[in-house]
Amino acid sequence: MAKVTINGIEVDVDPSMTILKAAEKAGIPVPTFCYHPRMDPAGSCRICAVELEDSKKVVMSCVTPVADGMRVLTESPKIHEARKTNLELLLLHHPLDCPVCDCGGECPLQNMSFAYGATESRFESHRNDEPEDMKSDVLVFNANRCILCGKCVRICDEVQDVHAIGFINRGFDTIIGPPLGKKLDCEFCGDCLEVCPTGAITDHFVRYKYRPWQLEKQQTTCSYCPSGCQMFVETENEAIVRVTSQEGVGPNEGSICVVGRFGFNHVQIPERFDTPYMRSLHRLVPSSWEEVLPEIASGLNAIRKKGVDRIAGLISTRVPMEDAYVFQSFFRKILHSNMIDTGARYSFMNAALPIVAATGTLRPLVDHEDILKAKVILVVGADPVSESNITGLFVKRAARKERSRLYVVDSEAISLSSRAKDHIRVLPGGEQIFLEVLSEEIRQSGNLGAEWISRKEELFKNWNVDPSAYQRLLADLRSCETGIIVAGRKLFQLETPVAGVESLLKITGDLGWIDRPGCGLFVLPEASNDLGVLMMGASHEWLPGLMDSRDPASRGRWEETWGSRLAYGPGGGLEEILKGIDEGKINALISLGENPIGHFPPGSRVREILSKLDMIVSIDMFQNELSDMAHFVLPASSAYERSGHLVSAEGFVQAIKPTMAYWGESLPDWQILDRLSHAMGSPMGVDSAESVMSEILRFLPDLAPSSRNGSHFVGGTGEIRLATPVASADGCAYGEMVHEGNGLSTKFVSPAHKANRESVSSRYAQWREGIKEEPASPYRSIAGEGEFVLELTKSLFHSGKMTLMDSNLKKIQPEGKLRINRQTARKRKIKKGERVSLRTAYGVCSFIVEPSPAVSEFELTFPVHFANAEVLALFAPGLDFSSGTGAPVTHRIRVSLDSQNAN
Amino acid sequence: MTFKSLMNSILFTEIAQGLKVTFRHFFKKKLTVQYPHEKLTLADGYRGFIVHRRYDNGQERCVGCDLCEAICPAKAIRVVGDIHPEFPERRYAKEYTLDFTRCIFCGFCVVACPVNALSMTKEFAHSSFTREGLIYPKDKLLALGDRCEDESIAYLKVRNMWDAEDSGKEEGRYHFPPIPTT
Ligand code: SF4
Ligand code: SF4
Ligand code: SF4
Ligand code: SF4
Ligand code: SF4
Ligand code: FES
Repeated sequence: MAKVTINGIEVDVDPSMTILKAAEKAGIPVPTFCYHPRMDPAGSCRICAVELEDSKKVVMSCVTPVADGMRVLTESPKIHEARKTNLELLLLHHPLDCPVCDCGGECPLQNMSFAYGATESRFESHRNDEPEDMKSDVLVFNANRCILCGKCVRICDEVQDVHAIGFINRGFDTIIGPPLGKKLDCEFCGDCLEVCPTGAITDHFVRYKYRPWQLEKQQTTCSYCPSGCQMFVETENEAIVRVTSQEGVGPNEGSICVVGRFGFNHVQIPERFDTPYMRSLHRLVPSSWEEVLPEIASGLNAIRKKGVDRIAGLISTRVPMEDAYVFQSFFRKILHSNMIDTGARYSFMNAALPIVAATGTLRPLVDHEDILKAKVILVVGADPVSESNITGLFVKRAARKERSRLYVVDSEAISLSSRAKDHIRVLPGGEQIFLEVLSEEIRQSGNLGAEWISRKEELFKNWNVDPSAYQRLLADLRSCETGIIVAGRKLFQLETPVAGVESLLKITGDLGWIDRPGCGLFVLPEASNDLGVLMMGASHEWLPGLMDSRDPASRGRWEETWGSRLAYGPGGGLEEILKGIDEGKINALISLGENPIGHFPPGSRVREILSKLDMIVSIDMFQNELSDMAHFVLPASSAYERSGHLVSAEGFVQAIKPTMAYWGESLPDWQILDRLSHAMGSPMGVDSAESVMSEILRFLPDLAPSSRNGSHFVGGTGEIRLATPVASADGCAYGEMVHEGNGLSTKFVSPAHKANRESVSSRYAQWREGIKEEPASPYRSIAGEGEFVLELTKSLFHSGKMTLMDSNLKKIQPEGKLRINRQTARKRKIKKGERVSLRTAYGVCSFIVEPSPAVSEFELTFPVHFANAEVLALFAPGLDFSSGTGAPVTHRIRVSLDSQNAN
Repeated sequence: MTFKSLMNSILFTEIAQGLKVTFRHFFKKKLTVQYPHEKLTLADGYRGFIVHRRYDNGQERCVGCDLCEAICPAKAIRVVGDIHPEFPERRYAKEYTLDFTRCIFCGFCVVACPVNALSMTKEFAHSSFTREGLIYPKDKLLALGDRCEDESIAYLKVRNMWDAEDSGKEEGRYHFPPIPTT
């Protein structure tokens, strides 16, 4: 410890600290331009000058380490003079742009110039007059306003690891921009825009449209991906103007990705439903709540009378927990139906079901901080950067700054591959084979027969696995102190997903990671609230708290707690719902932001099946295939308008807050359902999203809001307090119930810690017995001679289909292009931008190609967001629910490429 | 009642005293101006209706910076900035409205304007049968500015806001970004 005196205040700090950090600790602000807490110091702007009292020297506080006994002055006449001179120099070439500069009003340079009165310069020079670089679709670089602090370059290198911009030229001519005067081509996270202390970087979307002082700022949680970024939505007159982040706030620590930062425009376009619609004479006509609700209610009442499980419900996993909770209670209590399913069915359910069966919780055992500390990270079947951007950033940081050994097992080169120690490029779909071999070898640890080994070698040869890389990974996994496996979308969408996830569970169990802190599995959910919606019991398998909905005991506990009988039937998921509708056993469908038609190939009869329904209620924001055939379309509020809580991939429960008024007549989902229940004559009596949350917290106290900057979440999801009339300490490991005011509330007395590390138990085997057998030979899609595997992937620039309505994101990625290996394209004489057609046994579709070195020569990829009916026509028609979890299987298919078709 | 006061009452002395002033003014120079047939000459610093100004080449000066909106104590101004439709590097006021029913003619906005796009004139008699008629959009303000250009320059000069224009230095003109001279 070093003792430092700053402006007379004595602080004890670590000797490795800089003076700036010590001053921060003492609560003394020091102005900075180029300093950034997440990056290495650069010392380039010279504004953070401080004076050392003893030597009378002026030093830069952001780069100078403290020394014991140091006495520092942050304000003195000498410092004032130094800073003022420095500002004069910074402003030497600076244009007098403040009135039109987007930064004006929140500009540190402007503020400093006011503070130090650097209004006139003693130096003579010309004003910079470099034309702006407006080539990029997103960012505009104005070199004249740049003070060359280098923050933008460094954040792109050190945090995003994208290296898209740099210093160009030298001396007075230095400017910032993409190399060689090219058009900027990057991830468009906008972090450079965020950190730039001047108006040198602006963006095309809001350029010149606002002044910072006119904007109202509201912190909220991004509802696209499960990273759960904290962002600030800034509005003027109930319209979103921009989205910003704040250094250090939230699990994202101030970075947000392109979708979160720029994807806000779709919620304020005229295409959005702003009033309820009702079908009349085959047309949807605008109506009002007063008119539609009684109609829907009487229809539902009539169907409800027919028996249980007569009404099906689908819910998107981008809605807050509150809405999911109300959704399931509406169905189970009011509609007597357990025919409910969530959007997670298409992908994440494949991981959630086995994991819950094994561990009893959906809480990840590790979080991003553990990723930073992990010695070995294995990323398999996932592209964290595009699936959960912040997770990707943390993996990058772990590999780059913390020197963790990163292994990537994927057919495609993902952006993490360049940081990986080994990228094992299996053939498309081979991730699962790889994991199976790995788990077997770890389990048997050396007791493997020669036969097994020769089979392994053969498999590795067939699936293109580098055996030496595999050996290195195996050795590292066995010997490492802490290791984390990150798995995602690609793995969950294999033809036999349960087998893949099971291998992961075996590996974590056999390596002894379940009980070891900082080790484990980090699965990436697909949407922002997959975890929360499932924890709230919005799928047919689970009641709230992940309790088995078919187990009479758990049903009984909830009945007692709610004080109402749950008269639902056995229920079922998407598969059973479609089957039930087809057989006439289900007569109505209520969909909250889901559109099953868009997920299946056009020949799969989904539309035909759905047309058998007596009533379709589509609660959505935009027109889609389901709303086109719905009898009632109800306008839903967006995540920017309502309040609630989302559970991030790390398990943090974070609030979304209203940033603008409800769009038109739209209402949040819980309110629509509540009003519907009133109209049906069996009111649920929900007052507000807050009251729902307090009800949830009463029963599931460990879902209390949490974030990294606050306290960690507490307990496993297994901690459920149902109908517990105790008022005294109940001996629970996590907290005690106390009387506070009139109500019963929970107080946590034990230190907050992470999910309980229950071991992978026999419960899993039991669950495995119960599910249906997956097909024995899953590898339908290995490419044959001259064939490819077409895969639908997640794009970095879109999230689901909704963002296709967003003008900003559409500008960044306007259309889906078929990515093909560059060499293959060259060989087959296919050029960028040409059209090719793909053929399968089921259909033909033409695509614009984009050759890319990232794709392997056996593979073609296409962003799933743009997969419309034409693209889906390539996939086998029919409803393929062959996976063990009842998830539909349509993400990979063998295709042959027809380049003759070029036109 | 004394005798004196009685006499005063009888002889209307007090009224005569009052009328003395009246009679005196019969013979003095008249002060009343026969408005609207006659008008006074107003001082150059008179704070009449606000106008928008143009550069010599006809280009409107306003850069849509919102500073006038920010300073206006009466919240009479609303500026909506945007990218100039012809010059994407330039900011301009897509909408500009000045609500003269609210304006208190303090002149702050003129001071705030960095490009001398605003000035005040000697116009004061703009009446309207509706409130909306006194809410001026940008084109109306520009038209008024064209009509009263000399007055607006005189105002800026007398209020010491013309120096930069006259300094001859390019910098003093605050062109954002430099405006073509054609
Ligand atoms: S960067 Fe700051 S100081 Fe420079 S023109 Fe913009 S607002 Fe003014
Ligand atoms: S563009 Fe901004 S962040 Fe980048 S060097 Fe210039 S002033 Fe710094
Ligand atoms: S999409 Fe994900 S990474 Fe991007 S801002 Fe939203 S939560 Fe963060
Ligand atoms: S003169 Fe004063 S009150 Fe009128 S618009 Fe200007 S700043 Fe506002
Ligand atoms: S201050 Fe001047 S330039 Fe700025 S918006 Fe007002 S009139 Fe236009
Ligand atoms: S902040 Fe220290 S030199 Fe820039």
